[in-house]
Amino acid sequence: MTNPSKSFHTPDLRKTVLDMAYAGSAVHIGCAFSIIEILAVLYRSHLRYPDNNPNSALRDYLILSKGHGVMAQYACMKDLGWLSQNAFDNYFADESHLKGLSDSRIPGLEVTSGSLGHGFSVGVGVALAAKLKKTDQKVFVVVGDGEINEGPIWEGALFAAHHQLNNFMMIVDENGFQAMGPTKDILDLASIEKKFTSFGFDAISVDGHDEAALDAAIQTLMQRNFHQPKALIAKTIKGKGVPFMENNNAWHYTRLNASSYEDAIAALNKDSK
Amino acid sequence: MRAAFSSAIVNLAKNDPQVLLLTGDHGYALFDDFRKACPQQYINAGIAEQNMVGMAAGLAKAGFRPIVYGLSAFVPIRVLEQIKLDVAHDHLPVIFIGDGAGFVYSHLGTSHQSTEDIACARVIPNLSVYSPADAHELTACMQAAYQSHSAVYIRMGKSDRDVVHTAPLSPQTGDLLAIKQTPHSTLAFIATGSLSSTALALANTQYPNASVWSAPFIKPINTNQVIEICKQHQQIVTLEEHSIFGGLGSTIAEISSEHSPSHILRIGVEDRFSTHCGSYEYLLKEHGLDSSAIIQKMDRFLAQK
Repeated sequence: MTNPSKSFHTPDLRKTVLDMAYAGSAVHIGCAFSIIEILAVLYRSHLRYPDNNPNSALRDYLILSKGHGVMAQYACMKDLGWLSQNAFDNYFADESHLKGLSDSRIPGLEVTSGSLGHGFSVGVGVALAAKLKKTDQKVFVVVGDGEINEGPIWEGALFAAHHQLNNFMMIVDENGFQAMGPTKDILDLASIEKKFTSFGFDAISVDGHDEAALDAAIQTLMQRNFHQPKALIAKTIKGKGVPFMENNNAWHYTRLNASSYEDAIAALNKDSK
Repeated sequence: MRAAFSSAIVNLAKNDPQVLLLTGDHGYALFDDFRKACPQQYINAGIAEQNMVGMAAGLAKAGFRPIVYGLSAFVPIRVLEQIKLDVAHDHLPVIFIGDGAGFVYSHLGTSHQSTEDIACARVIPNLSVYSPADAHELTACMQAAYQSHSAVYIRMGKSDRDVVHTAPLSPQTGDLLAIKQTPHSTLAFIATGSLSSTALALANTQYPNASVWSAPFIKPINTNQVIEICKQHQQIVTLEEHSIFGGLGSTIAEISSEHSPSHILRIGVEDRFSTHCGSYEYLLKEHGLDSSAIIQKMDRFLAQK
């Protein structure tokens, strides 16, 4: 385990997201809930931060290219002790550092995302840098399935495969929705795994909410370590963890009120028992 | 100027193994020397400029010093958002080279012509904008960009125009460089890039009361020097192979309007795309940037006061 002292207990991470979303009247709850297990597994077992320092020059990189899920990352960074409770209680208050989308000025957040398709290429650059410097650093880039509508994703995929960047892993949060509806109704992606396999990636599909399966799939990709970049297609549920949010794309935009906040917390408590 | 560029990047790369040259499948023979001297530091990112700039940001985050080369119609225009979010926002030391600026690709039409790049780049925080006129300015700009450890866009326009300097330069970043000083001049030309040599030729032949400055640095620019030039001259004429909106002329007018309101004529591309194709000289003529058209504009302007 990379961070054995940190639990990254997923019901608690979701509760942290709900608390901050309620405090800040923030949107994008569904986007955060679909990547909770992905981030928990990465932080718990795969990402190395020497001395627990998010700025360490020797760190592995977790790049949240789909910046809309940033509350899930904040929740993990709280477990790591990188963010104070105060930052959560005052989310979106005037002069708040934590924004509604990822901002690279927060230690632990590697890119400024929200405009989609950027983090993937930055990650390819960091992976290339690690190869040139002959370090064993790994780069994990979390993208949304909607996000891969963006052209630079495919430009970067060509480059990563051509240059055999096997220290680069893309994890697709395949929750089946994007801002305006189901991905299959907007720009149908068909099989994401097949697409990336055809681009030269070593690709595996997995249940994105099964922590043991996620962990095993990441380990498999790491251990067989072909001369290929890696793609993990994580099948997820937008809004996962709170039944009335699950697969309900309204929770891309909807803000919590006192009643829905209490209902959501109650659902989480029930689920974690 | 292209030979100076080639030797500048070879020197930087030889002296600093962290320097990497990224090209979006452009450059061809321009990089022959670089590829011979530093093959490990050369990356052809393919015809994929957005990914190239994002990667440059990732490389810079990890300590490398990327030089990103493209045609100025693509770098910075096509990749402006990557420059803004991935590079400039994070104060990363990436040097962007936009080659063929202005009407260099006179026969190829609008897709390869670039007269809005300075305006777009100027408004991005943490991004400097340089526009050298000849080989000496180019060499100085490359050195200044490398030493700045920050994001810089260097615009390379028509490369075979007359030189405006006779010896190597070591300017302070931001300085305007006097290329003709006339005692008690009443008219000041401030020009950049390819049109610096035009301004010098006009001053030498048509306007004996004029002094001429070449401006290799659009941002940052030495504001005090601009104010002094405005104070000391009755009339100012700016010249650039770029839109009259947002480029050198706008920069000078912005400073002047706040500190020393002056009578300024901005000569440049007047908010239009090229209609026809032809030689470079033809394109300058179509846009009213050849000597006789400039003289006509100036005569009307000078008669106003």
